[in-house]
Amino acid sequence: MRNSRGVTRRRALGIGGALGLMAATGLTSAAALARRPSLTGAQLRSDLPLPLPFQVPLPVPAVLTPVGTSGGADRYEITQREASVEILPGVTTPMWTYDGTFPGPTIESRRGRPVTVSHRNELPVPTVVHLHGGRTPAASDGYPTDLLLPAGRQEHSMHVEHGSGHMGRGSGHMEHGSGHGMHDPRAVVSELTRDYTFPLDQRPALLWYHDHRMDFTAPAIWRGLAGLHIVRDDAEDALGLPAGPRELPLMIADRAFAADGGLAYPALDPTLRVRPGVREPYLAGVLGDVILVNGAPWPVHEVDAARHRLRILNASNARHYELEAVTGDGRRLDLVQVGADQGLLAAPVVHTLFPIAPAERYDVVVDFSGVPIGGLVRVVNRLGSGRTRDVMAFRVARKAADDSRIPRALSADLPAWRRSDAVRVRDFAFRAGQTHAGHGWLIGGLPFDPARTDVTTRLGDVEVWRLVADVHHPVHLHLVGFRVLSRSGRQPLPHDAGLKDTVSLRPGEAVEIITRFDGYRGRYLFHCHNAEHEDMGMMANLEIV
Amino acid sequence: MLTVAASRTTTTGWLLRAVVSAHAVAIAGQPVFAGMYLTGDYAGLRLHAAGADAVTSIGCLQAIVAIAVWIRLRQAWPFLATAAVVAAETVQYFAGLDGALWLHLPLGVMTVVAVVVQFIDVWRRPLLRQGADNA
Repeated sequence: MRNSRGVTRRRALGIGGALGLMAATGLTSAAALARRPSLTGAQLRSDLPLPLPFQVPLPVPAVLTPVGTSGGADRYEITQREASVEILPGVTTPMWTYDGTFPGPTIESRRGRPVTVSHRNELPVPTVVHLHGGRTPAASDGYPTDLLLPAGRQEHSMHVEHGSGHMGRGSGHMEHGSGHGMHDPRAVVSELTRDYTFPLDQRPALLWYHDHRMDFTAPAIWRGLAGLHIVRDDAEDALGLPAGPRELPLMIADRAFAADGGLAYPALDPTLRVRPGVREPYLAGVLGDVILVNGAPWPVHEVDAARHRLRILNASNARHYELEAVTGDGRRLDLVQVGADQGLLAAPVVHTLFPIAPAERYDVVVDFSGVPIGGLVRVVNRLGSGRTRDVMAFRVARKAADDSRIPRALSADLPAWRRSDAVRVRDFAFRAGQTHAGHGWLIGGLPFDPARTDVTTRLGDVEVWRLVADVHHPVHLHLVGFRVLSRSGRQPLPHDAGLKDTVSLRPGEAVEIITRFDGYRGRYLFHCHNAEHEDMGMMANLEIV
Repeated sequence: MLTVAASRTTTTGWLLRAVVSAHAVAIAGQPVFAGMYLTGDYAGLRLHAAGADAVTSIGCLQAIVAIAVWIRLRQAWPFLATAAVVAAETVQYFAGLDGALWLHLPLGVMTVVAVVVQFIDVWRRPLLRQGADNA
């Protein structure tokens, strides 16, 4: 039987075996090398010994007192300045702050009662303040080129930027007209102080304010320019949700520390004035190895054995989390979601685990009454590994009466836009690509240019936007809230409920959103809220006419 | 003893060629639609999903034809290869729905290669009744 056919068969088996081996090797390498779960960004390593988790008490940012409350409006003053902050125990960290603290002071406001915040810039760089989630007229929305310059820093200080050739070059220097940079004739530049006026004619929600300067948003937030702004109304107060000390704002952010105690950040230009961008390995986003909650590393908070309302913001530049609350015996507590980015849901949604992308907010109620006194409830990040798996912990300290409740109906004012209401459908791809400065991030194939209007829509128009991502992109629209219609052609996920202003696209995922562009006319933005992506081109203009 | 008739591809053989060819055409569209989708053409998603249904269905059809080839032509190889491809396509389908791109991308490339190899194999030589020379 050793004829030619036998040889052919042996060879065929050999070829088949080799192909099978290649396939098996390929798939096992894919399984071994790919990040599972997927993660967009690169992690910095701190050069300091890091504290043990659950040692530092959870700080709660102080509520800012208005300097004036006359005429049906509240007036606040905030000074942006450098300050030394103790983040890690016994270590001094120089930061850029709002009023000397990180996070900045919290502003508490009522629906429909206007707030004016007068910002004074004593930092070494220009700044821009954006109230994330605010329904704000364009003049106070913090357009990236509407700079607030520090005292005595004239615009020539930004002149050198022209050399770097970055596309979305900014702005404040229209007087120069040297022709290299990207000019923005519509930029409104102020010096030293600037009043931002927020009508706050919007649903009660946890908003946050942060820096939004052209090309340098990511390092400015990283250095500390972020704070909370809460909007409330009577209807929400009447619901009976946990309140007072049982309502906790939690601003989660990752950072990394240099040996001298300062914050590490892979900026190409350490002065954060001239050349934007980060070193090449960090193009996908900068991740820290220390998880801060309200500015404290892996803090612990003593609570009553009662329901608590946690108002969670992911203020990280690029890190996504999947959060769960785990008791000492490994039980996962229910996380009852009552609100999303733009306020209360129609009805509670029960999770045991939910994802939170940069700039997203989740309003959840957790009940500690079933936890033994003295027990520890850890908030765990399922997307983390090693130290970044821990977030914070609650120590259940005492039994207590609890008259709070979670009503079955939370709100009845959510917009009911239907597909048929949409006058237009737009498609946007969020993906990596080339900008004038090299590798960057694009929307619809283009890097940000303040002088180009990407989307023009009429005030009051309802539109459906279909967003497609290559890697993780948390997409944020200024001015409006939206609802998620679908994810990759299928039903939205349970955590997509409610009215949102930031939607997290996972690698290869498509999301359809629907919104109505109402409120104010003017120039707004939509962008990826991975702050590094945002600085490297992933923004676009939205003109409401 | 080889007969003249046995050197010609049988009807069953032609059926296998047809279904493998259709399979190759359908699967070649998948990376095209994926590329459309990832560059922001939302219609690409629908096409990629419809393409996945088409490819998987043709794969099952090919398995049936390959069984016929096994029975009538006494050739087991087309069925064994088809079974492997159908298994890969099933995993591929759910990896895609799940967003498990670490698996979906390499397995997708391998599946395309496997179908192309099958295409070459069925067209390269006549599909004869195996063991006919022993009859």
